[in-house]
Amino acid sequence: MQRFRELSPLKKKEATFGWKLVSPAIILIGLFILYPVLYNIYLSFFEVSLTPGVPNKFVGLQNYKELLTDPTFWNSFGITMLYVLITVVGSILVGLGIALLMNKEFPGRGIVRALILFPYVAPVISTVFAWQYVLMPLNGPLTILLSNLGIMDVTKDLVNDPNNAFIVVSFYSIWKNFPFIYLMILSRLQSIPQDYYEAADIDGANGWQKFHHITLPELYYVIGSLVLLRGIWNFYKFEEVYLLSKEARTLPIYLYEKAFTGLPELGVAAAIATVLFVVMMVLISIYVRKVLKW
Amino acid sequence: MVVRKRSFIKTFLFWFFIALVVIFVAYPFAYMVSVSFRYDSDAFDPGLIPENPTLTQYAQLLGLQESIRQQMSEEEEQLMKLLESLPEEQREQVLQNIQSSRRRESFPFLRWFGNSLLLAGLSALTSLIIGIFGAYSFSRVWYPGRTLVQRGVLLVYLVGGVILSVPLYDLFVRIGLTNSGGTSMFALYIIYIIQTLPVSMYMLGNYFRTIPESIEEAALIDGSTRIGTIMRIIIPLSMPAIITVFIYAFMIGWNEYLFASIFIRPYPGAYTLPVGLREIFFSEHAVWAKMMAASVLTAVPVIVLFMTVEKYLTAGLTAGGVKE
Repeated sequence: MQRFRELSPLKKKEATFGWKLVSPAIILIGLFILYPVLYNIYLSFFEVSLTPGVPNKFVGLQNYKELLTDPTFWNSFGITMLYVLITVVGSILVGLGIALLMNKEFPGRGIVRALILFPYVAPVISTVFAWQYVLMPLNGPLTILLSNLGIMDVTKDLVNDPNNAFIVVSFYSIWKNFPFIYLMILSRLQSIPQDYYEAADIDGANGWQKFHHITLPELYYVIGSLVLLRGIWNFYKFEEVYLLSKEARTLPIYLYEKAFTGLPELGVAAAIATVLFVVMMVLISIYVRKVLKW
Repeated sequence: MVVRKRSFIKTFLFWFFIALVVIFVAYPFAYMVSVSFRYDSDAFDPGLIPENPTLTQYAQLLGLQESIRQQMSEEEEQLMKLLESLPEEQREQVLQNIQSSRRRESFPFLRWFGNSLLLAGLSALTSLIIGIFGAYSFSRVWYPGRTLVQRGVLLVYLVGGVILSVPLYDLFVRIGLTNSGGTSMFALYIIYIIQTLPVSMYMLGNYFRTIPESIEEAALIDGSTRIGTIMRIIIPLSMPAIITVFIYAFMIGWNEYLFASIFIRPYPGAYTLPVGLREIFFSEHAVWAKMMAASVLTAVPVIVLFMTVEKYLTAGLTAGGVKE
């Protein structure tokens, strides 16, 4: 890399101009993203006081000790991992299936395509109320339907029961986010040259063989990146989980309740955030090396 | 091309799956719309088609019709008559009590809608403007450290809102931006900008690279300044991407609950839609029809926005670089 003072005057002017243009963004990101990440780690070693004038108390690793010996934390940790696994796999399977279906021409495709984007586009708060309505115990239409099919009891409260809330939340996440996967996969599908399939037809390949030997390899990197993106996003997911059912105790919910409800324990919450961040970083680096082979 | 006649079973299965997809997607929306056209007392009537359809929920939310909660009860009306004989000061006192209890029970949907519109709109606009210049800088101008800037912007993807919630809250409390509804909204404005800025820059940067540099060079030779070419060439040519980014950023602000609940919970006048609707939902019961009407009204603006630019949106999303 060339150093700034070695540049020609014209290039210097250009470089200064570039920095000037990007500086508002850099300052904002530095001040409100990078600095808070570091400040968060700092806070995790303190008992944070929100009373003005009372300084934070340094407690060393106390917050981490408290956290790692708390069974609720480990429970949340497990739920989070399961939630990420189910939602990533589920939304990719659903998105892939529907993308394959929508890749064919049929009358009314335009309308169906627009409709498919609805869950992704509609605000979380609206769709959450709709799902809570259909899943109401006793009265909810979906509850009644499921009990008529003999799948479950009509009195069962799916949403607010801590034992199964996370299943509902996972299902909701798949429903809400599959359109994103579907869009990405569909656009990749449409760029696969048709002659691959024609050649396979001539060789007498059947549908499954074509899918296995042409479509899937072409989709490898898209799906690989989607797993990464959705994995990251679902790991941190707060709104979609909390608003539908705060009984689904994933780590972000645990953090929120520690930090902002009851007696705030910001230091412990900062420790949770740090753990979340570190786990995420480790998972990402392993994944990027092993699966995406960057 | 090998032409194969599709069998009846295959066609049947195909349409069966299409129907399944439509039901899967539309199921909760169908009930949301249906219930929104019912009276609260009919909210759990079976079937999708309301038996006594009514627009009353919408009329009440939009302030076209007084809700029962706003109408005075008989008791209150009698009280009002009694009040006329009271001395001035005492009357004021009682009136205030009545008003405050009624305000607590009302559903200021339009106010929350306005707050959400203001916050999401302004932050998306600001993020867009800063993003345009930032993206231009790292996609078109060369300087030492540019790669670092590009990577840094990508790295921000790894930081979720939850991780920032504790330090940002602490930070804003210390600056004193949490002690009134107005300042808390300002804090949210900043937070929504930074939540959307990385994605704005990334998406716009990708788009700017597709504009041929020769167009810009021609303008520069004709004596245009760099800023001039951004204004007169880059921005007009990137309109599809710019609109997509704006809508995307708008959506993020419109949906945001985490920070909004932390910062504006104590100030009902500053509530955004997600916070307001959730508070109402947990504080009152049997308001299903109204909740559904409110949900429809919350969803309609964004769905309409998206559908009008669906073509661009799909292109923008799939160009990579999307953040929720």
